Amino acid sequence: MGRASQAPALREGRRRFFLWINLVWFVLLPWLAGAALVAVAQERRYTVAFANLTEEPGTTLEGTGFTGREVRESFVLAVRRYPIDLVFYDNQRDPRKALANVEDAVGRKVDLYIQYLDDAATNVKVGQRLRGAGVSVLAINTPVPDAPLYTIDNRVAGRIAGEALSEYGARNWRGLPTIGVVLGNLRSHEYRVPERAQGASEGLKRHLPTIKIIPVETHGNPAQVGPLLAKVLASHPSTKILVAAMDDASALAAKSALESAGRLPDGAIVGQGVDRSVHGGMNDRKEIDPSNRGSIVVGSVAFYLDRYGYEVLPLAMRMLRGETVAPRTVTAHRLITAANVFIEYPPYDMN
Amino acid sequence: MRCKSLLVVIVLFAALLASVPAALAQTDCKTIVPPSPWGPNDETGATNRVTPAVTKAAAAEIKDGKVIVMSYPLTDGIPLFGTRFSKTILTATTLAPGAALGENQLTYMEDTWLSQSHVGTHLDGMGHIGRKDCYFNQIAMGKFITQNNMTKLGLEHLKSFATRGVLVDMVKVYQQAGKFKGNAVCKKPCLEKGTVITKADIEAGLKMYNVTLREGDIVIIHTGWGNLFEQYPAQNAVYNSGEPGIGKEAGKWLVSQKIVAVGSDTWGVEVIPGEDPKEAFIVHNILITDAGIHIIENVRTDLMAAEAEQTKRSTFFFSMTVPKAVGLTGNFVGIEGIR
Repeated sequence: MGRASQAPALREGRRRFFLWINLVWFVLLPWLAGAALVAVAQERRYTVAFANLTEEPGTTLEGTGFTGREVRESFVLAVRRYPIDLVFYDNQRDPRKALANVEDAVGRKVDLYIQYLDDAATNVKVGQRLRGAGVSVLAINTPVPDAPLYTIDNRVAGRIAGEALSEYGARNWRGLPTIGVVLGNLRSHEYRVPERAQGASEGLKRHLPTIKIIPVETHGNPAQVGPLLAKVLASHPSTKILVAAMDDASALAAKSALESAGRLPDGAIVGQGVDRSVHGGMNDRKEIDPSNRGSIVVGSVAFYLDRYGYEVLPLAMRMLRGETVAPRTVTAHRLITAANVFIEYPPYDMN
Repeated sequence: MRCKSLLVVIVLFAALLASVPAALAQTDCKTIVPPSPWGPNDETGATNRVTPAVTKAAAAEIKDGKVIVMSYPLTDGIPLFGTRFSKTILTATTLAPGAALGENQLTYMEDTWLSQSHVGTHLDGMGHIGRKDCYFNQIAMGKFITQNNMTKLGLEHLKSFATRGVLVDMVKVYQQAGKFKGNAVCKKPCLEKGTVITKADIEAGLKMYNVTLREGDIVIIHTGWGNLFEQYPAQNAVYNSGEPGIGKEAGKWLVSQKIVAVGSDTWGVEVIPGEDPKEAFIVHNILITDAGIHIIENVRTDLMAAEAEQTKRSTFFFSMTVPKAVGLTGNFVGIEGIR
């Protein structure tokens, strides 16, 4: 067996061997690379900070009945869908606290910061500090310069209420003397309630262009609704009244005032917010309930503060993935009535 | 002749018009709910899977005859929603002096039981959950309900539940994965309400005891939340405020495993609050409406979980009978796990 006779077979064997090796690598490498990518994609978790406006118990936000606790809870629930570890801060409506929160978040090297503070000047500083640290920012309701903003639209919300009342009046009381009442904390610029009131007035004129509109200022005290509305009712006997209440507590108080005056058949009311004071579960029997379709509280315009987490975190995820996010995303306000309340807010107090 | 033709046309047209509502209802349900794999007349659902072979194989789980209780007491004070109730009235008139019967002085007692059916440890039947008026197997239930009961999909159509039970200890899964978040009110470890149990979690729980699901199994998930039920009435409000439970992905995966039922030590088996706030009990739809798979709620799981941990075996013979209650949507049940 000479070397010469073995050489071609050996060369052929080596060639086959290397061919197989190459083939295996050719198949294996992309698979390994793909698997590694999937593993990285699965493992990548983000740290996102959410600095709430305030979590002081009983303090309501945005001129609605919602509290900071409900906003926070919505983030806790919504984050279950995402590869995000949330870090919570409470801005306590305090600029110094807000800036201290930012410093802490920078120290923690968060990937994104969600700022909810109704102080434009502080938000400028917050934006600068975070950008300097390379942290993305997303703002809620009050802008942070150059950051995407998720916000309610008070004027649209007011208009939805006004139009619903206007349609109600035109449909049920055509030809009868009818006035509009815009009721609530009307001068609260803090919550942009004047925009809400303006929208309500515009909406009231939609189907009743000549309607007289009376503003009733409660300074945010629902206890004032009764006596103030009683005066309006007394000065407008035999008149139908469409009440655009700027919040749900005022809407319920307006109903009580009409009831006390024996004027329930003369009124229709729409509130703002759709907080838990006006709707609930199967067993709650709240004002807006499928079994209470005859109520003069026709409905309330949803602000969804209890769903902020579900609305804001998808935007945050898109930012984290490097996708484009619109500079302004607006809450999809809609009128919630007895006919759609359980579709919009499915109850779960049953089994 | 012409009149006759006209009459025929009118009659045909009227017949066509009359058939429209029924046809529409059927068409609607066919787009909303999938058909039963057991045919168009099926009203039984997943208990079709409990064949003699399945029961025989499950009987092999009985090794030493140990019986483990898997139901909670049904009595005043247990957690119920709103105006739900389960009350009894005892008839004991023959115990009054001189009221005994015959020379042998026979006395007797019996009960009047006034109760809703979905209370305590209970089974959700095929008629419990639908989408609009469409229920399991595309049945348009609007046509099959009376003031008293349903004329389709009642409990009387169910077959046996004599099959293998598989306990999945989600508390241990979460503890071992280092992601356990409990609720301080629970006296034993429990997952917090709102915890979404995923397919991966269930698979991890099965792997923990080297179990592979078989067609016809009943899956019982231990979350620890049932400890709040045990503390009735003190923690009823907490118990009812939400629960840990399976999410949509896990629900769909369980459907793919061709099981008969899924139960848990919670009042709804699925995670509450749900994954999407705009959806109502969506996992109920996935399991019952779409797949004919039962849900068993308020199952006592802690004893079986302890047994499984001690013996390193999480399977058992699932013993549960459901009354042939005609036209009922569900009923309270007694469950025993036999080992």
